[in-house]
Parts: sequence; C-alpha cells; structure tokens
Amino acid sequence: MKTILNSQVVEINPSGENYTVTLDGKTVFVQVIRAEDGHMDLLIDGQRVTAHVSSDMAKRWVTIDGRTIMLTKTSGAKQGVRHDHAGGLIAPMPGQVRSVSVRVGDVVKKGQTLLTMEAMKMEIRIQALKDGRVKSVFVSQGQTVEREQILIEMED
Amino acid sequence: MFNKILIANRGEIAIRIIRACRELGIKTVAVYSTVDEHAQHVQLADESILLGEAAPRESYLNMDKLIRAALDSKADAIHPGYGFLSENASFAAAVDSAGLTFIGPSADSIRAMGDKAESKILMKQSGVPTVPGFEGLESDGDFKNAAKEIGYPVLVKAAAGGGGKGMRVVNAEGELSEAIESARREALNSFGDERLLIEKYLADAHHIEFQVFGDMHGNLIHLFERECSVQRRHQKIIEETPSPLLTAEIRARMGEAAVAAAKAVNYYNAGTIEFIFDPQTARYYFLEMNTRLQVEHPISELVTGIDLVQWQIRIAAGEKFPFTQSDFHQHGHAIECRVYAEDPSNGFLPSTGILLQFIEPRGPGIRVDSGFKTGSDVTHFYDPLLAKLIVHAETRDVAIQRMQTALREFIVHGVVTNIDFMQAVLKHEDFAQGKVSTRWVEKKLELGEFLQTQQIPAAQSLIAASLADVVFVGAKAQPAVSNETDPFNPWKQTNNYRN
Repeated sequence: MKTILNSQVVEINPSGENYTVTLDGKTVFVQVIRAEDGHMDLLIDGQRVTAHVSSDMAKRWVTIDGRTIMLTKTSGAKQGVRHDHAGGLIAPMPGQVRSVSVRVGDVVKKGQTLLTMEAMKMEIRIQALKDGRVKSVFVSQGQTVEREQILIEMED
Repeated sequence: MFNKILIANRGEIAIRIIRACRELGIKTVAVYSTVDEHAQHVQLADESILLGEAAPRESYLNMDKLIRAALDSKADAIHPGYGFLSENASFAAAVDSAGLTFIGPSADSIRAMGDKAESKILMKQSGVPTVPGFEGLESDGDFKNAAKEIGYPVLVKAAAGGGGKGMRVVNAEGELSEAIESARREALNSFGDERLLIEKYLADAHHIEFQVFGDMHGNLIHLFERECSVQRRHQKIIEETPSPLLTAEIRARMGEAAVAAAKAVNYYNAGTIEFIFDPQTARYYFLEMNTRLQVEHPISELVTGIDLVQWQIRIAAGEKFPFTQSDFHQHGHAIECRVYAEDPSNGFLPSTGILLQFIEPRGPGIRVDSGFKTGSDVTHFYDPLLAKLIVHAETRDVAIQRMQTALREFIVHGVVTNIDFMQAVLKHEDFAQGKVSTRWVEKKLELGEFLQTQQIPAAQSLIAASLADVVFVGAKAQPAVSNETDPFNPWKQTNNYRN
C-alpha cells in the first residue's frame, strides 16, 4: 500500500504480523507493539517509538518525542496544484469579520486597511498589499470565515 | 458557608472553581452560551443554565442574565473567575443588590482600582511609585498632545482592562488614531467599557506582580511575587515564582508596597499588584491592581501551599483569615506555561477546531488546569487558552527541566498550539539567566529567532502516519467529528483499504 504524505511516498507491506516500510529508497522493519485510540507503540528497526496519530480526512497529526507535525495526504495526480490567490486577500485566521471599510470600485493605497477581523478577542487588520482598485468584496460584517477564505479581490 | 455558588465564567477557571466548591461541600451552577453547550465546565457542574448566544455580550458579559440565573437556581453567591465581569464594579454592586454575595473584593475597591486615574492618585498618596501618563482623555487631539508630552513609544490601554485586551503600543503619531479606535473596540467587546488611558511605554522592563490576600476583618498579607515577563502582545505566556531577579531585600520592600497599595482601597479577597520592574536600577513602578483571581494563581498556590480559590470562598462567607505574613514562605520554584490555540508559524494567530486528541501530562510536581477534552470544540469566540501547565520543583533548574519534560508529553491534535514555541523559550540562554523582559519575545521574533521554517517531516512521523491508516482500520483513530470541510474527499475511504 502506497501513501503520499507531504509529497513523500511511503510504501507499507505486511510481513507476517509486522510490516516493511519503504521510504526514500530505504526499507525498515516495523513491529506494532500496541495500537489504540490514536496511540501507537512501535519498534522501527529495533528502535522504540511512541507516536500519537490523529486522522482528519486528508490531514494527519503526528506527535513523536513531543514534536507535533501536521501532514497532508495527497494523491499523486493532484500533487502540487494549489489555488492561486494572486489578486485576492485571504483570511489569515478563522474568525469573524468586524468591519468592511471598502466597496467594489474603491481605489485604495498600499497599506490601507480594507477590513478588520476578530478571533478569540484579538483583532487584526487586512491591508492592501499594493495600490489598486477593489474588484470584489466576498464577505460582510459579522460573517464567520475560515482560514484562507478569500475576503477581497483586487485589481491594478 | 454558602450552599450553592454560580460560576459566571467558562473554561479552565470555571472548572478550577467547581473543584474548590466540591471540596468545600458547596453545590455549583455553571452558565454557558449556545456554543458551549457541551463544554467541560457545563458537564462538571451540578446544574447548568443557558445564557444566550455565543457573543460575550449575549452571554458571559450579560449581568442581568447572570443575576437572574443565580436567583432562579437559588445560588447564594457568584464567583466571577477572571476576565469577563470579574473586575466590573457595577456587576459586583448588582450582585449585592440582588441579595447575593460577590466572591471578590467590594464594589468600591474594584471601582477605585478599576478607575486607573483614581488608583494612580491613591498610589502616589500611599507612597507607591507609578508610571508617567494621563487618564480621562477623550478626543484624538487630547491623546495626541498627551503622547507628545510623555514621549513615544506610548501605550494606550483599556481603563477597565487587564490581560492585554484593548491595549496597543504606539511608536509614532501616525499610528495613534487607528490604535485608539481598535483598542476602544476591543475594550468594549472584552469589558463592555471603551475608555482608554495613555502612559509611557517602558520597553525593556520586567513584569513582576505580588499576590495579596485579605479578609473582611482587616487582615491583609502578600503571598510573594510572580515573574510574568515572557509575554506576547501583552499576553503572558510563561510565569514563575520566585522571580530570579529579586533579592530578599527588594522582595520585602515590594511586598510592603503591595500591601500598602491594597490597604489604600480597603481591599479584601484575592488581588494582584502589578509592578513594572527595571532590572538596571532595581526600581519598580505600580502598574495596576487586578482586583480578582489571576490566571497564574496556581504558581503562588504551589510555592506557598495555600488554596487561593477555597480561601476566596471562605472569606467571602465571612470567615477570618487565620494566617499572618510570617506564616508564609516560598517553598521551591513553580512555573506555569499557558498552552494557547495559536499558530507560531502563522504569526501566532488563533487556531480553531475540534480537539482530535488532548492528552495532558502527569507525574510528580505536575498540575494541569484545563477546560478541554478530546472532542471539545475550540471556537473563535473566546480566549485561546487551552490549558495551564504548572510544575513545582525544589529549584528553578529542576522546575525548568520538569516543565520541558511535561510539555513533551502534552499531546494536542486538531488545533495548532504554542507548545514548541514555549519549549524554544525554556531552553533559551536568556530565560535560563532570567534576562527575559516583556519585549523580549517580540524582539527575538523581529530578529527572526523562533521562526519555524517549513520543516521536513522526520521519517518516523511519515512511517507512523502511514501505518495509522493500516492499523487503525475500523476507524479507531478516525474522530467522529472533523475540522475538514470536504465530506467527499476520496481519502476518507482509505480507512477501508487493506492490502
């Protein structure tokens, strides 16, 4: 079974009760000592490793030795394709839109505050990255937004 | 003693208070907003009452609803916790008028210290040094003139404030009016009060505060200091006691000043006198008094051996505080790390979501005060504090090592936390030497320290993540809930895949 995580290919094959895992051209022998509730005690080539793993659709949260990393599982075909936000201003955090200070067609200067967002009682300003004109405003005051949601689109 | 207490708060502090009540044999009433229906504090209390919508003004900041809830549930007293209405004199007065007991100081003490102008005058009269600044200004023009006179950088902050909410550092006149506007809005949202004050911003100072505690019979003592200089955006991250900077002689002087400050407002119950401390000159200035229980109260509890929340309740019920100053000593060293749902690699902005795993560390000298469990929802409406990790050990060095070990064992999946960042601070030489000032974190970040480059995942992480898909077939690792938005993601089916 092949898994692609953060564009790295990991191949897992059962070998009796255990597994052989190939990564980066190197094959290791893995014994699963215990696995329950997202907690795994492993022997990787004889070395004891305790890992906590949570799966959330394509995301994998992994903690080993106190280090937590978030990995994304991708299919080979889609790899590297990212939505481009070239002319758009995206939400840097999840939260709520406090105020929108521009309208479609407004001419704005670099650094001008276009809208303010709030999350966990912290407020941040979304500012124009360069001089330009507001092409579209996708959100309104009071709206809840996800991280990386497009808020405003600009044109030169 | 009270029969039943309503806790006008949420999260870890509500749970801390529920625990103290239980130990004292007092029933508890939790209150909650719609998004907190299944929160831990609601689960643990004897009764619970829905206040309203998630926005704080509809729920945890709504005085009428809170008092009605207390009366309806036949509670005798209200514990406000910290934040929300804890330092609101009108609320304390309204609780009294409703025939209930407010577990905290008198409304007059809160008002005197809450009004930063009045408190500064009082402090000067009591011989306590204060930071240069102005209060009671309204127009942008007045603020501009005041800032010019004080000299930039200046700090504008909520007159009713605390915890860094509604606070902005202003480096130049051009930034002033927007800072005022945004601080006002944040202040209104956090405290229901938009008044601001302005003062000199002392950049390289330390924040050292003294815990005070008194009863309603005139007894008032201090419980030593807490060094709270590791801060970001004026929000404390790591606190410790004793402070590595204080000599016994300065500690005694500051303790006396703290007691004098509290006595000046006839204070009783738990309170904190915050000082700005200049390590160059060993001079200290009264910053403000927090007329409530502090987030970081556990470190004082650990080194002095007193249960502050239990005593808050007991003295509010009229009991005499049986201890004197000489009964208290600092035993060992305690450190608190605040585990926040915020992403250091994304400018420390909030991270929200459902906790897929939440495993607290345990062991000798480790205490965790938290308000969450696996499956809890961390929403954008409230504070990003997930948990307080507190350790106690015989010396500072051992306490630091204990904290590092405990942080390694703290597992949080589902939201990004500042755990790695706190590890980086704890192992920094400046922290080891007690050289961290309140601006230290921001300065280090400006210099590019602690910047997490997109790390290449370790082979072990990749192996474990891939194996999880195979060994957790049957969806044991798959949460019943998800933070991901696309329900048709093809990878959802990989759990059934076996080769």
